[in-house]
Amino acid sequence: MRAARWVLASALLVAVPWIVAAALPGQQRYILHVLIFTALYGALALSYDLVVGHVGSLSLAHPAFFGLGAYAAALLATEAGWPFVVALPAGVAAAAVVALAVGVPMFRLTEHSFAMGTLGFAIVTQIVATNWVDFTHGPLCVTGIPKPQVAGLRIATLPAFYWLGLATLALVAVLYRGLTTFRLGRAFHAVRDNETLAAAASIDPLKYRMLAFVIGGAVAGGVGALYVSYVGVLCPGELTVSLSVNLLVMIFLGGVGSLRGVVVGAAAFTALPEVLRMAPTWRMVIYGLLLLLIVIRAPDGLEGLLRRGGALGRRRPSSSGA
Amino acid sequence: MALFETRGLTKRFLGVTAVDAVDLSVEAGELVSLIGPNGSGKTTLFNCVTGYLPPDGGRVIVRDRDVTGVAAHRIARLGVGRTFQLVSVFPRLSALENLLTFLQQHQEENVFARLVRAPRVRRLEAAAVERARSLLDSVGLGARANAPAGTLSYGQRKLLAFAAALMPDPDLLLLDEPAAAVNPTMIEQMKTQIRALHRQGKTVLLVEHNMDVVMDISQRVIVLDHGQKIAEGPPDVVRRDPKVVEAYFGR
Amino acid sequence: MSDLLEQLVHGLTLGSLYAMVATGLALMFGVVRLINFAHGEFYMLGGYAFWYAYAELGLPYPVAGLAAVAAMALFGLAYERGVIRTILARTWHVQLIATLATSITLTNLAIIVFGTQPKEVPTRLSAAILDVGGVRMAWQRLLVLVAAVAIFAGLEWFVAHAKLGKAMRAMSQNREACAVVGVDVQQVALATFGISAGLAAAAAALVSPLFNIFPDVGALLTLKAFAAVIVGGFGYVRGAIAAAFLIGIAESLAAGYVSYAYKDAIAFVVMVAVLLVRPQGLFGRRIGI
Repeated sequence: MRAARWVLASALLVAVPWIVAAALPGQQRYILHVLIFTALYGALALSYDLVVGHVGSLSLAHPAFFGLGAYAAALLATEAGWPFVVALPAGVAAAAVVALAVGVPMFRLTEHSFAMGTLGFAIVTQIVATNWVDFTHGPLCVTGIPKPQVAGLRIATLPAFYWLGLATLALVAVLYRGLTTFRLGRAFHAVRDNETLAAAASIDPLKYRMLAFVIGGAVAGGVGALYVSYVGVLCPGELTVSLSVNLLVMIFLGGVGSLRGVVVGAAAFTALPEVLRMAPTWRMVIYGLLLLLIVIRAPDGLEGLLRRGGALGRRRPSSSGA
Repeated sequence: MALFETRGLTKRFLGVTAVDAVDLSVEAGELVSLIGPNGSGKTTLFNCVTGYLPPDGGRVIVRDRDVTGVAAHRIARLGVGRTFQLVSVFPRLSALENLLTFLQQHQEENVFARLVRAPRVRRLEAAAVERARSLLDSVGLGARANAPAGTLSYGQRKLLAFAAALMPDPDLLLLDEPAAAVNPTMIEQMKTQIRALHRQGKTVLLVEHNMDVVMDISQRVIVLDHGQKIAEGPPDVVRRDPKVVEAYFGR
Repeated sequence: MSDLLEQLVHGLTLGSLYAMVATGLALMFGVVRLINFAHGEFYMLGGYAFWYAYAELGLPYPVAGLAAVAAMALFGLAYERGVIRTILARTWHVQLIATLATSITLTNLAIIVFGTQPKEVPTRLSAAILDVGGVRMAWQRLLVLVAAVAIFAGLEWFVAHAKLGKAMRAMSQNREACAVVGVDVQQVALATFGISAGLAAAAAALVSPLFNIFPDVGALLTLKAFAAVIVGGFGYVRGAIAAAFLIGIAESLAAGYVSYAYKDAIAFVVMVAVLLVRPQGLFGRRIGI
């Protein structure tokens, strides 16, 4: 029965462009645009939750990895003429390599210092992106990023991008699920919940923190590459600290450490301001206050509230595969 | 051949020498207690020996391997199990999952086999669950196997931590105050468990303040005071040693 | 040569700024073991308060400065009561996210209220140039340095002799013991926040005539102040002050001789370099302020 529900849900999700075209014809472009952003942010939020929610490293470096993947792909596509199918993995690789290089010194730091160190790294990355005009075009932005071409098909229409975004989100979700269950998930959670005891259980905290950090960063880079191929333009303003705050809101709003929670959080986060048509600064004020409220009152987020209210049924033990 | 020994082990903190050139050795199969007044350096020694604190001097040798300064997770992997003075479990995991976490690093390393859940992997996992359940039964927590560890009482968590340390079948077990902060019934249970380990041929080194427990179950007692070893021998001999008496009462 | 000396003077100005802000951060960490990510916003709001008092209300410079300090001290108290107290008992993740959220909220509120255009607050002293043997500097810079030194001296005296100051030092060494002995830990925490915010406002009143005020100024400042706190040895105020001057001078020299655009990265580079070599900071991890 569960399989049938999955098939139905998947079919519905795939059919969205037609459903929207039929139900709200005038709004189709706008709705699809919001959905594409939702899918991309969902994937990004999942990659961030891996680091923050599952292994407990409060990294503020994610915008830098998103930006690195974005710039790598954008510049390779516009300056070197690389096709999308090569530029995307290059973006992933660039982010992964930097994550590895940055992670080694960062994980020698504890707690606050780690957070500050990663924040500093993110800020420095933004400074470099803004000022290295010869390479990144700085505030003049990288423009004319070509639409992707996958297996001979040119992805230029909104429905096509929607399906690409949906596929990405699905892929990242599967990866996320695989990384956070069974042995690997238990190792991550052991490091998060009691690092000292994890070591006594022969689990190397550094190895697992680095693993989550690098994979999370790599996925963020991939999302960045996808993002620029959709938007077509890349400016240094995309990598601000605000993105970290947005990601924190997304994962804490929906439920940190939970696949469903994070995706819901990302969806709510992306859809809401579109619905409310808020100015960017007011948006950030609301997000800041919202984050403050959530983190103080309900650190489990929406998922936690719903679970406690019994709406989601009994909680199964966290990561057992046995 | 000593299963485990320290040679001249030294650790200093901000001018205080917590462990001062301590030589001790434990033969395979022995049940040894480490005692001493508060602040004598027992837990610091434990932490140096299990890889949580890098020593400032001396060596730590386990089964003829020099493990001085080796990281905690690697020492654990060599077959050294330990418990902590402040009882430590994974609160969000069930009791069963706590135990499984302790075994997993000793299992099948082949990532691909695990990804496709090959039959061999499934058998290993089933065996792990078997072992975990039987360990939980042996400490009397069988009924609470699926309860989140955070919901167990202090004494139950102590037993859980004890069972978890046993899960990877370590040769050497270091127990930090197993009889502390629990009721007399639990203390008896702990003593029974430790004696059972001894009968199975395991090597046990425990730090303990409870003199009844120490005198009752130990084959040999080592006494520390101000970071130095001041006495060593069978329980009866050590208890009457004037230096030991002075360390505990003479101040 | 006079070029180098002017860079050094600029470095001392920056150092004074970073030191005053870092001191507040170190005090808060020392006393309640909490990193306030919104600390840079104390400076930013203090700057706007000063601008309002001086440029809009036309108050004389010293009065405007003191008004800003008083206003931010009150804000600091309110902040401790409203936000900090609710997160004191929580994990550091919650504390970090909560203060980060506050930082973003305050920054964007400032954009809404004051706009993104920087506010210029020139004073007589920032316009008047002092010439010392070919080295030219605004009189304001001298004021900044002198005032900073005076403030630090005052702080030293305060922590050594004043009842509240001694309580702050005691709390930073052993919080539990203080509660047992009868120190009102809540009061001391409250006062610490008031003092830290006031310090940031004083820095703003002294330095804004030279550097302008804008909503985003807090973010980089928090980072650099934190870098100083780390490099100096967590929670150790004197270390933070020394490290802050080190960072200020390094930044100024880098801006002048390496690259102006990347000067803000210097603090981060210094911080990571020190942490890799000496994780406990340059002056070791001292217990207490």
